[in-house]
Amino acid sequence: MPRWGMVIDLDKCTACQACTLACQAENNVPFSGPEQAAMGRSIHWHEVIADVKDEHGELHARFIPRPCMHCEDPPCVTVCPVGATYVDDEGLVRMDYDVCIGCRYCTTACPYGIRYFNFYAPEFPEPYDQHLTPGVPVRPVGVVEKCSFCIHRLERAKREAAAKGRELTDSELVLLPACNQACPASARYFGDLDDPESTVSRLARNPRAFKLLEDLGTEPKVIYLGEEKN
Amino acid sequence: MTKLSRRMFLKLAGTGAAATALYALKHKYGILHALVHTTQGPVLPEETLVPGVCRMCPGGCGLVARVVDGRVVKLDGNPLHPSNQGKLCPKGQAGLQALYDPDRLHAPMRRTGERGSRQWQTVTWDEALSEVVARLRDMRAAGHPENLIFLHDGQGGPTADLIARFCQVFGTPNNVAAPHYYRADGSPLAHLLTQGWAEHAAYDWENTNYVIFFGGAFLEAWQPLPHSLRAYSRLRRGRPRVRAKIVQVESRASITATKADEWLAVNPGTEGALALSIAHVIVRDELYDAEFVSEHAFGFEDWTDADGQTHTGFGTLVLREYAPDNVAHEIGIPAETIERIAREFAVARPAIAAGDVSGCKDSLYAQWAIHCLNALVGSIDAPGGVLRQRQPPLADWPAVEPDEVASNGLAQTRLDGAGTARFPLAPDVAPALAQGIVAAEQAPGALFLYHANPLYDYPTAGWDEALARIPLIVSFSPYLDETSAHADLLLPDCTFLEKWFYEPLAPSIGVPAVALGRPVIESLYDTRNTGDVLIALAKAVGGSVDDAFPWASFQTAIQNRIEGLFHAGQGLPMRDTFDEFWAEFKARGVWYEPEYEVGQWNQVLITPSGKFEFYSQTLRQALGQDDDEKLLPHYQTPHFVGDESAYPLHLVPFPLVTTGQRWSANLPWLQETYGLHMQATWENWVELNPDTAHELGIQDGDLVWVESPVGRIQLRARLWPGINPHVVGIPEGQGHTAGGRYAEGYGANPNALLVLEFDELSGECTHRATRIRVHKA
Repeated sequence: MPRWGMVIDLDKCTACQACTLACQAENNVPFSGPEQAAMGRSIHWHEVIADVKDEHGELHARFIPRPCMHCEDPPCVTVCPVGATYVDDEGLVRMDYDVCIGCRYCTTACPYGIRYFNFYAPEFPEPYDQHLTPGVPVRPVGVVEKCSFCIHRLERAKREAAAKGRELTDSELVLLPACNQACPASARYFGDLDDPESTVSRLARNPRAFKLLEDLGTEPKVIYLGEEKN
Repeated sequence: MTKLSRRMFLKLAGTGAAATALYALKHKYGILHALVHTTQGPVLPEETLVPGVCRMCPGGCGLVARVVDGRVVKLDGNPLHPSNQGKLCPKGQAGLQALYDPDRLHAPMRRTGERGSRQWQTVTWDEALSEVVARLRDMRAAGHPENLIFLHDGQGGPTADLIARFCQVFGTPNNVAAPHYYRADGSPLAHLLTQGWAEHAAYDWENTNYVIFFGGAFLEAWQPLPHSLRAYSRLRRGRPRVRAKIVQVESRASITATKADEWLAVNPGTEGALALSIAHVIVRDELYDAEFVSEHAFGFEDWTDADGQTHTGFGTLVLREYAPDNVAHEIGIPAETIERIAREFAVARPAIAAGDVSGCKDSLYAQWAIHCLNALVGSIDAPGGVLRQRQPPLADWPAVEPDEVASNGLAQTRLDGAGTARFPLAPDVAPALAQGIVAAEQAPGALFLYHANPLYDYPTAGWDEALARIPLIVSFSPYLDETSAHADLLLPDCTFLEKWFYEPLAPSIGVPAVALGRPVIESLYDTRNTGDVLIALAKAVGGSVDDAFPWASFQTAIQNRIEGLFHAGQGLPMRDTFDEFWAEFKARGVWYEPEYEVGQWNQVLITPSGKFEFYSQTLRQALGQDDDEKLLPHYQTPHFVGDESAYPLHLVPFPLVTTGQRWSANLPWLQETYGLHMQATWENWVELNPDTAHELGIQDGDLVWVESPVGRIQLRARLWPGINPHVVGIPEGQGHTAGGRYAEGYGANPNALLVLEFDELSGECTHRATRIRVHKA
């Protein structure tokens, strides 16, 4: 069985946010408006984190694209009282909106802040409802949502490969999620971490590789490649 | 029993809040029924991928739209376009909201209340056009066609060409480019003076080793963005064991600066001095490309003219005046740094110096000095250097023959003063247009606005008075922007996803390319391609104006030009007949030539000397004078407006990746990702150096007043360690008072602080020359 993971090369990333916008468009992520945004309730399945520090008058800034980590030991799954979130047999941390009761234990438990609660019914004022992607449900008020590694694209790709009587190839997978496809710097890769020859596996062995909050033991499956210095 | 998904189970069971919510959702968003489950499996909706062109900014990237059952659901880059290569920047990704904006104009409208009251009634196209035609005919009949002012967005392409044609045959010289942000950087004139072409340059980033950017947010809003972003990736990791070095020179650190290897926080307006000082080191230490300088450059050595007069060469000038020790203090960076950067730059060849230092008086000299660095290190039209963006071999439209009325009109002076003694080099000076309209002896007859918004983009002084003098104002904007709100007639254009056009590639990669824009879906509303509207107006005006517009539609007009690509016989696609070519061009969405040949000097150096001119004979002719000091790049302490004691800080307005020169504030997705490095959304802010803020008693997040000699705005203060202590920065694109519910009323417009002042040589409004003060609100 594949074990899906992602690699993001921060030395190529330009912090442009095309990934974030592609995800909003692909996954029917609603905008929240200024009042809700001011309360920290904007929904961004994918977000670029700005880590800006003033070190003795010197500027240190780092921009880190942040999808769901699809952890192997996810705290969100541990705390969910109804099993609305779970790890499937391909390593994806799934959301079942029908089962979610909106308690937000998962949102609190996730150390990466990748989960978002629908405090309000998402609005797509006409005619924004015209551009909703088919095959991606629009979530109702009261449930938590998050990055799915574009599971709808993955399932479609698998169907199409099966119809041709073959497996998915690594090159079909690298740019499969919308964020990866959109990245103008080609800084992102997706694929099977259990295939030692896949792009993500090879890059994961790179000396620049690191993971976020590794010491918490969540075993995230998004691997970053750090910036080099000249 | 067939396997049911949980959702189906709950829906059928009809119990529980979740089921009710889901049912309500599906009922409300009926289009989700497009994917219907049957016992045989899903019935898939009809889906196509349609190529087009993105016009969220002037970059003109090729796109592919995913269209499902007549709805556009996703935009991505066209993989076949050589510039953006399958990618769109975040504005392009958000483009769905430009198409489906709930506040778009739906039909032609005529105002019913006072100007600016925003009371409209819908009219038919016939009614609206008749009114416009009547006015146009009157102007021609009175023998004053020059009273038509056509203000447009300053972007190339067939609509701009059609507007120019219309103005020419109608008889008005007042065809004025008014780009959405009036500075697209000052480099075209620097290239005119040195190389003979007034265009932005293309750059071979991927083969260069060292880049110095003087301003110009390379990764955010400077050249067509996907190319720049890919280039950054290649500069860093594209070549084994070669990682190019990037130095960013600006008084306010952009995100580009945070990604650069070094950020030099120069004092505002001193970039030219730094470039000249770098040149000093390169010349002094004989690190320059002697072969290029001796064979392809003019004015580097001292020289004697035909009248026996000696002239200072660029080499002598920089050696004499711009030693690092002389200028380091004024620039605000150590002399040792200048020495080191200069040596690194020259030794690392190939190397590129580029950027945008417009916005102060004499900024043209600074831009010129920067480009001279490229000549010194042999980067002119070389691998890893600065190229000339080639134009595609589009066929010409038939020649225009202005009649006598038109010829008389064309002979009148332009109202914006471009090309006169005041602005000898500038092709357009839109910010000066208001003054020109107010001062004109005759009141103008009509103002046409093609995606131009001076009431927002420029210092506001004089525009109200100017508009009041004009009896008919017509706007073609698809959105009700600030200036359109003062129009009498709205004739809304289609968006870039609903109309036929083509897009010649803006300066970026050097090879010529043409992307085809088309209606990806049928027009949502009763809007019309402005190209078609102009053809209809011309035909109705009649006479020689009609004769110059022989096409049935704008689509035919552009197809005629595209025939030139077929006949040129080079580039891709290539086919035997035009019909086959057109079919293939439509299918691919783009034509381009794959190779750039360097060293074609007769196309790259077309100055009076046929060489790269350190000393500009073009400028000598334009100014009509012989003062060596003015005909070589040089530095003067910049002139700032506002008394230093009353206004101790310098204002630097700057763009973000989410703004980029066109409508963006009306797109809520862009509002929610607006200010990445401040994690700020739905508002802009004023950036202060933390020490400066401390001195003023201002903390991060405080509301403050920012005041200039002509205005004041209120903003939230944000501390940014990446800014020179004498400078404050305000991001552009907010503070709209029109444009729709998502644009209006957020933040404040920094343009309201700017004093209307010009760098006469370039015709640019000095947007970085205003001093301000900041205090707690």
